[in-house]
Amino acid sequence: MADTILNVEHLNKNFGSKQVLKDVSFSVQTGHIVGLVGPNGAGKSTIMKAVLGLFNYASGKITIDGDSVSPTSHKAMDKVGALIEYPGIYPFLSGMQHLKLFSKDATSQDQIDDIVDKMKMTSYINRKAKNYSLGMKQKLGIALALVNRPKFVILDEPMNGLDPQANKDLRTIILELAKQGTTFLISSHILSELEKLIDDLVVIDKGQIVYTQSMAALESGGKKLLVVKTSDDAKAKDVLAQGGYQLDKAAEVSIVEKDDTKMADVIKLLSDNGIDIEDVQHVHSDLETSLLALLRNDKVKES
Amino acid sequence: MITLVKQEMYKLGHKKSTWAVSVALLVIMTIFAVLSKTHPKYWGQKDMFVTMYTGGSWVVLFLIAACSSIIAMEFQYGTIKELLYRKYYRGEILVSKWITMLIYSIYFYLITFVYSLLLKVVLYNGSFKLSDTYANNQSIIQSQFLSLIGQFVSVWLVLSLVLLLANIFKSTAAAISIGIIGYFALSVVSGLMFVLMQKWNWLKWNPLNMMNLPAQLTSDTYHKMTLLSTPEMVCGSLVYTAIFMAISYVVFKRRSV
Repeated sequence: MADTILNVEHLNKNFGSKQVLKDVSFSVQTGHIVGLVGPNGAGKSTIMKAVLGLFNYASGKITIDGDSVSPTSHKAMDKVGALIEYPGIYPFLSGMQHLKLFSKDATSQDQIDDIVDKMKMTSYINRKAKNYSLGMKQKLGIALALVNRPKFVILDEPMNGLDPQANKDLRTIILELAKQGTTFLISSHILSELEKLIDDLVVIDKGQIVYTQSMAALESGGKKLLVVKTSDDAKAKDVLAQGGYQLDKAAEVSIVEKDDTKMADVIKLLSDNGIDIEDVQHVHSDLETSLLALLRNDKVKES
Repeated sequence: MITLVKQEMYKLGHKKSTWAVSVALLVIMTIFAVLSKTHPKYWGQKDMFVTMYTGGSWVVLFLIAACSSIIAMEFQYGTIKELLYRKYYRGEILVSKWITMLIYSIYFYLITFVYSLLLKVVLYNGSFKLSDTYANNQSIIQSQFLSLIGQFVSVWLVLSLVLLLANIFKSTAAAISIGIIGYFALSVVSGLMFVLMQKWNWLKWNPLNMMNLPAQLTSDTYHKMTLLSTPEMVCGSLVYTAIFMAISYVVFKRRSV
């Protein structure tokens, strides 16, 4: 398929006798931002490392842009930029020297300056990296992944150690690059941040893919609730149930919103019955809620 | 490959220690040259020149440190992933490091050699000539040059082992200690080794015996102790070096990072 940049098929990997990846298959569409999420130790970094040709794997097939990837086959890596686990930094080099060291011949000084500027690293880029803070090192790691303008970028926990402003800057850069056609595979625990970025989601648990969907599908699958705070919650529940509204099992009065649910009708019904409304809230299930529900219900059992 | 070697040289050139040890080497050589000028009784003038004013011994130390760090630092700093996920083959990454160290060792031996000549001209211009006979019917300059070549070959035997250990242990400390101990253990155990070799002839092929190459090159009797001819020793050293390098290569290629 021409429009997928990464294809992982039936990937298996063992550490000793422990199987860390079990029959992992997924693909990444060109130009999409894909989130790879899962609990600690689920195998996210392992997948990313396998995709980067850093790991031997027992069986399976990985291709990037049609070229197969393994520790002995790295041709496709020319199109890839990555930050895995924590940024590798030489303490005796400055940030700028790192970027020069790892930039390709085709990468101009302007391109280097551009990424430094976008990551807001100008003030310290010529200082030795051993004096960098955690966040500064992280930014340098991201800059190194992006400096050669790769087609496909793999970022493992890129928001680690970044302050809120840097987080926002990073989001802007990623979205801008994606608009220009760069594909991203990003893992993160900060789901609220990830949610603002990704087009598709791959969920992994205990070495297996448990869910792959677009974000749009995930969001539409979630329940939308209308939560009402009243002077008499018990009575309100009775009234609403009799009025034909479906209530969610919760302590508060939460009405499951459907296409034809109108807030005005709810308010009118309650006030007609002499119940005062103190507060009304729309509640959407966010990525965190959906994900936790998914992981709780998934059928993967520890082997 | 040229790009990779350039990158390794860039890293080496930006380490302060690279330049610091070069300066230290020249300073130490100058000190010994002056000492042998003022106290020729303790430090014979010709002997000191032939041993390059102790420069050769220091170069070994510096090279052992450099070889262990060029491999182990990548693991220590976590930069190994950045090195490996690129389009290059793993083997190329490792070989580029070897080439860099080869260039570095040539650089060291070259400055030591040139600087010892300089010291000789400045401090001892009148006291002896380079063409004077030193030992084994060789002139002074011949002796110096032969022992330099011998040192170079046997140092690379040690360095190949250091490169292998750094690769296995991913730690600078382990590789440096074993390398240095290995190199200097020779003087401690050689007496015992020569005795054992008289008993079990095949022991002459052990790697420590190969380390006697510089001594054998400048002496006409040493081969009676090492039980090997000079060509045999050169070949032996090269074969051991090749074996250690080959193991390194396999270990590096198979490593998961």
